[in-house]
Amino acid sequence: MMRLFRSLLAKYMMIIILAIFLMQLVYLILAVFVFSLSKGIDETYSSDEADYEAIEKQWHEEGKQLQGATVQEVQQLFEEWKDKYADASMFWVNQDGDLVTQLDVTEELPAEWTPEYTARFIKERYDGDPFTVIAFVGNDESNGFIVFEIPREVFKTPLEMTYDKFGAVLLIGSIIIIFLFIFLSFLFFKGIRKRLLHLQEAMEIRDVDGLPVQIEVNKQDEIGRLQQAFNQMVDELRESKLREQEEEQLRKELIANLSHDLRTPLTKINAQIYELEKADMPASTANSLTVMERSIADIDKLIENLMSYTLLMASKYKLDLEERDVIRSVRESLATWYPAFEKEGFTVEVEIGTFKHNNWLVDPIWFNRILDNLLQNVLRHANSGKYLAVKTESTAQYDAFIMQDKGNGMKGITEKKGAGIGLSIVDMMVKGMEMDWEIHSNDHGTMIKIIKWK
Amino acid sequence: MARILYIEDEMEIGSWVAEDLTSRGYEVTWRQSGENLEHYLKDIDIAVLDVMLPGLDGFSLGKRIKREVDNLPILMLSARTAVEDKIEGLSFADDYLTKPFHPEELAARIEVLLRRFQKNEDILEIGHLKIDPKTMLIINQNTDEEILLTGKQFYLFQYFIRHLNQILTKEQLYEGVWGEKYMDGDKTLMVHIRYLREKLEENPAKPVIIETIRGIGYRVKI
Repeated sequence: MMRLFRSLLAKYMMIIILAIFLMQLVYLILAVFVFSLSKGIDETYSSDEADYEAIEKQWHEEGKQLQGATVQEVQQLFEEWKDKYADASMFWVNQDGDLVTQLDVTEELPAEWTPEYTARFIKERYDGDPFTVIAFVGNDESNGFIVFEIPREVFKTPLEMTYDKFGAVLLIGSIIIIFLFIFLSFLFFKGIRKRLLHLQEAMEIRDVDGLPVQIEVNKQDEIGRLQQAFNQMVDELRESKLREQEEEQLRKELIANLSHDLRTPLTKINAQIYELEKADMPASTANSLTVMERSIADIDKLIENLMSYTLLMASKYKLDLEERDVIRSVRESLATWYPAFEKEGFTVEVEIGTFKHNNWLVDPIWFNRILDNLLQNVLRHANSGKYLAVKTESTAQYDAFIMQDKGNGMKGITEKKGAGIGLSIVDMMVKGMEMDWEIHSNDHGTMIKIIKWK
Repeated sequence: MARILYIEDEMEIGSWVAEDLTSRGYEVTWRQSGENLEHYLKDIDIAVLDVMLPGLDGFSLGKRIKREVDNLPILMLSARTAVEDKIEGLSFADDYLTKPFHPEELAARIEVLLRRFQKNEDILEIGHLKIDPKTMLIINQNTDEEILLTGKQFYLFQYFIRHLNQILTKEQLYEGVWGEKYMDGDKTLMVHIRYLREKLEENPAKPVIIETIRGIGYRVKI
């Protein structure tokens, strides 16, 4: 119940009820006011006397009875009526159109009534003011007619008269009430709107960890409950984020330990091979040892890639984008790789110019990882070509790094892009940093392009 | 000869590395944990630490060593290859090598660190030059005359000597020697390298001491 009273709906219903009530109250007050005012006004005629239809009927009847009446008789009739209706005026026009007698007529009447004038008079007075009754004298129309006139005003009730006087006040009062209602509604909705906008702003604020922050709840209405629900959601988000971080930490820890445990025996095997190599042995044995050594290096790289791949697939490999001079990054990466290529007898051609914007938005670790994986591939799989070229390319649409070798090509790799786990990592990282890449490979070599669209 | 403190709990790997480094002429102290570490710190030139150790791990040990002996180079040798590990390692250590590694690689990295920290006092012979890395005395063996380098040339060559066998990019050289950010198109470095070559090389048109690695940078190699 308390809840209902605190709700915005209840508040608005209150406003509406109040408005209706006020409206009624104003009418009531005005009615009382008008009524008390009308008490002070004297009624000239009773409601029976002020009956237009009755007057008309009676006038016609009395006119009929005047068959062959004299002027005196007519005047006497007029006097009788005059006693009853002091404000009335009467006159008689005979069959010749002569105005025979009249009583208290204020307007100018012609002495001779032509048919045209008679017609005009009837037309003017029909349903007009003063209230006019025209009755034929006697039973037929040949004896002329008598006319009774009375201003309609004198028949008005006191209520009608007060209404005439105070009607404007009533209208203005009603209008004020309506405007008051509109104004209150406006204030009400303005208040709600303001709070909703505040709420929206507060909801958009983010903490350092990228999560929304709690909102202060100041009222217990619908918006207040919305704020509470939002706060609850924030708490739940935070909890789930925390859980996710813990899981992430566990997973990373697990992978790091696993990788450590796998590498330790590899190191031991490596040590044994190294010791063996010191001894004198036939060329075939020495060759076997070299193959073993290379296999160990391969397994090492595979473990590394497998771990990264697992983390990447689970989106647990954090992407930290920042502006980096990529030309410089590529050059420094090449500087560390150059000795390895030199040792294998590669011809290394480097033609790195500058782009219009050397700073790309990249994760430096990811970017280096991409270069490492690609260069490693050249060293391992394109060794037969003994050639590596690293170039930059700039067009209107993109900037790109190109890596080219003269190896045997990656058979089938273009069809099944990302078949190698190292290349899958390159693919995910390149796409993750909103860049693109292309592989063109045939029997005479491979060209890889890392593209940044403009 | 340089003295190495090597901490590794794996018996097989430890004995193999200790043996190999000893055979290369180093004086190796191999311990299986970081206990009583402080006794050795005064008498060593470089520390090689494994990360996963019983008790205090390699990262904590390394940080403690750095706090106590600031100018002692530390090389982390670990089977943990996660980027986070490398980043944490390199926040205090001077190099990070992952297992499995080749003993040649380890020896080469140790040499680089010793030279960078000027722990290696061996006289270097590069081409026709004889160089004392400690005093930077350069003797032309063809004429037995000392080569005198002026200001920036001296620092530039010293930078090369401390980063022997490493390819250094223009940016790295400029920022290492001048201590300012390299601006693209700046010719200062090129001019100084030309002067340096005129003094050091037998034939400055065909330099052999300071190699140009086309498109990447420069290198002084033994």
